[in-house]
Amino acid sequence: MLKPHFLAIAAACLLLGAPLAGPARAAPPGDACTACHPDLSKTLPQKHKAVRGNGMASCTPCHATGQSGEAETNGFSTRLHLTHVPPAVKGDCAACHRIVPGKSFGLIGQPFSWGAPKPADLKLLKEEFASWANSDFTDHLHAKASVDCAGCHGKGLPTSDSTVENDRCLACHGPIEKLAGKTRNVEFPKRNPHSSHLGDDIACTTCHHAHAASVVYCADCHRLWKMSIPGAAK
Amino acid sequence: MSNKDLSRRSVLKSVALGAVALSGGTALNMAVPGTAQALVRKLPTQWDETWDVIVIGSGFAGLAAAAEAAGGGAKTTLLEKMPTYGGNSIINGGVFAAWDDKWHYREKLNLGADSPAQHWQDILKGGDYYSIPELAKEVADGAADALNWVVEDGGAELRPTVTRAGGHTAYRTHAAKSGVGREYTEALRKIAAKAGIKPTLNSEVTWIWRADADPKSAVLGVEIKRGKKVLNLRANKAVILASGGFSQNVEMRSAHNPRLTAEYNCTNHKGATGEIHKFAQAVGADTLQMNFIQLYPYAEPETGLLDAQAVYPFNGPGYGILYVTKQGKRFVNELERRDVVAYAQINLGKDAKPTWSIFNEAMILPMGGDPEEVAEGLKRGRFIKAESITELAGKCNIPTDALVDTVNKYIQYHKDGKDPEFNKPITPAMITLEKGPFYAIPQWPAVHFCMGGLRINASGQVIDVFGSPIPKLFAAGEVTGGIHGSNRLGSNAIPTCIVFGRIAGRNALKA
Ligand SMILES: Cc1cc2nc3c(=O)[nH]c(=O)nc-3n(C[C@H](O)[C@H](O)[C@H](O)COP(=O)(O)OP(=O)(O)OC[C@H]3O[C@@H](n4cnc5c(N)ncnc54)[C@H](O)[C@@H]3O)c2cc1C
Repeated sequence: MLKPHFLAIAAACLLLGAPLAGPARAAPPGDACTACHPDLSKTLPQKHKAVRGNGMASCTPCHATGQSGEAETNGFSTRLHLTHVPPAVKGDCAACHRIVPGKSFGLIGQPFSWGAPKPADLKLLKEEFASWANSDFTDHLHAKASVDCAGCHGKGLPTSDSTVENDRCLACHGPIEKLAGKTRNVEFPKRNPHSSHLGDDIACTTCHHAHAASVVYCADCHRLWKMSIPGAAK
Repeated sequence: MSNKDLSRRSVLKSVALGAVALSGGTALNMAVPGTAQALVRKLPTQWDETWDVIVIGSGFAGLAAAAEAAGGGAKTTLLEKMPTYGGNSIINGGVFAAWDDKWHYREKLNLGADSPAQHWQDILKGGDYYSIPELAKEVADGAADALNWVVEDGGAELRPTVTRAGGHTAYRTHAAKSGVGREYTEALRKIAAKAGIKPTLNSEVTWIWRADADPKSAVLGVEIKRGKKVLNLRANKAVILASGGFSQNVEMRSAHNPRLTAEYNCTNHKGATGEIHKFAQAVGADTLQMNFIQLYPYAEPETGLLDAQAVYPFNGPGYGILYVTKQGKRFVNELERRDVVAYAQINLGKDAKPTWSIFNEAMILPMGGDPEEVAEGLKRGRFIKAESITELAGKCNIPTDALVDTVNKYIQYHKDGKDPEFNKPITPAMITLEKGPFYAIPQWPAVHFCMGGLRINASGQVIDVFGSPIPKLFAAGEVTGGIHGSNRLGSNAIPTCIVFGRIAGRNALKA
């Protein structure tokens, strides 16, 4: 059910080769875009229609922000985040986001809120975003495929004990039989991590970790098998 | 615990209190009921979750306990620290000892008689009479019922045979159709699911809460780590410990049995680390026989894995399998108990690794083998196959003359009905090693099963160091000690875990 965001293509062009005014820095809230990109037309894709205003509020009328919590790609969000969080720049969440710690977390110019993260939650979000934007792990593999937080975590902001259930992974990668087909060992059919003696309903997160190195759980016991997994420690 | 003991303990308590009053110092927390908390940990002031029954561990014992508790109407949670359910149970070899009153494979194959009393005696003798007889009796009496439960209510399937395994005097060991314990964990999971139970994974118990060691002081709940969160869970009726053994904890196992260093492989799942034993001890629980740790004599020599193929050497003796050293010599009575077979190998010296099991085609089905498993084992190089003993010796790098000589003598012993070398009792069901094709599989001991553990009574209650049951604390399965004495007979763990899991679950309802 991979449903590309309807504006993903336009968004994919956004901010490519964007010239920056001066060194990368955090933009002050309010005049978010023009503080660093004085001439927005140079930042936007060529065919983009003229933009009035200079902040998130100018984008969201067309680039509707995802509220559905569906497992889908979100090119606009991914592009903006990839270019505005470390290592790209030392981004400031508040340039685009309206944040009242412990109360609400939304977008400037938008009434809704995705949650009420406390300062510790915000710190964690920043860390996980940095990992998502630039790591060897599964989170970055998703970033490269235009899947942002909501793609896996659904509605609302993830917290420190959030986990991702199998049906969420399988919405894009499933069904499990398809995965089992991909990892089928022709010589030894029983040696298949997606159809093993631990059962088909084993949690994906047993091996596949998003914000940390993924591990082949099988290898805990089957020490002589050589198996690889995307997003493993380098 | 008798009243006399109780009053003696009360005296000890008052002495301890008196000492506090006199010196102004502090006595050991656990000896000052009501006034102090277990060890240095402060009791939680609030609970994140409240349950009637908390079960720790999702193997045979935990699943059975949770199914009974929830089935009896208790609001029950089943906690599992690993990201998968089933512990050692799901990877186990699927052999299940039970005298039988329903499936009649023993009768159909004309394999003699059996009874719960005979099974009970085998447990006691096989453990050198270190077993607590009344605990062993529960297992023997309840084994058939436990087997019927997983087959009839859980849909487990059996292979149509029974074997006589080392130390057992009857053909009573049933084999799972799938060849692994998953046959029964899935059955139990289904039974538990009907009662509304689903194991909660990634939830590691990190403490057991009890205010003090007063015999009337009940266990209150547990602390758990779930993801990055630490939570306290209240248990109104009972906490049931079903956390399995500690074979994977090298420090702990070698503290009790210094020979079992990291040099030995281990057959267990990674989570068999024994911390629950220590938390239980910290709130007063008694342990026994912690040094009785079993080696599985037939593990894969390099990794210690107990795969489906590694069960064949265990299932084979009743049907005439032969064990030889890599010099092609016998070294033990094949029908011996696990400890005897394991130490017979170890005593040959480190360079003796591996030893071999040798069987022929005719033995495969009777000993619970499966052609597909054999084919897979051959492909993986686990089994070696040859048309003659000479060819087999060559393939296994065993001196040919020695092996041929050993096999010829072995055949003769079976014909004579007498084994003058190792005194193996020869039965009519044994097949002589005359006709090929022949098979060989390498084997070496690996740390496998903890006979020792928490002291329980026949109601599954955990007993404290003074002999009183700890209110609201139960245990079942491999975490408990004293059922199998110095040596567990293979295929007795499954009935033990299911029988005592059910006992604990049912009694938790009344706690
Ligand atoms: C490879 C192998 C093959 C075997 N084959 C046989 C056989 O064929 N027949 C037979 O009778 N016996 C066999 N045994 C022995 C038998 O399988 C075990 O004794 C039995 O499975 C133990 O069951 P259990 O429920 O007590 O513990 P387990 O099945 O080990 O389950 C305990 C669970 O508790 C969890 N746990 C531990 N600590 C914590 C904690 N702090 N917090 C939360 N959870 C925790 C563990 O992760 C584990 O999942 C075999 C054992 C092994 C290792």
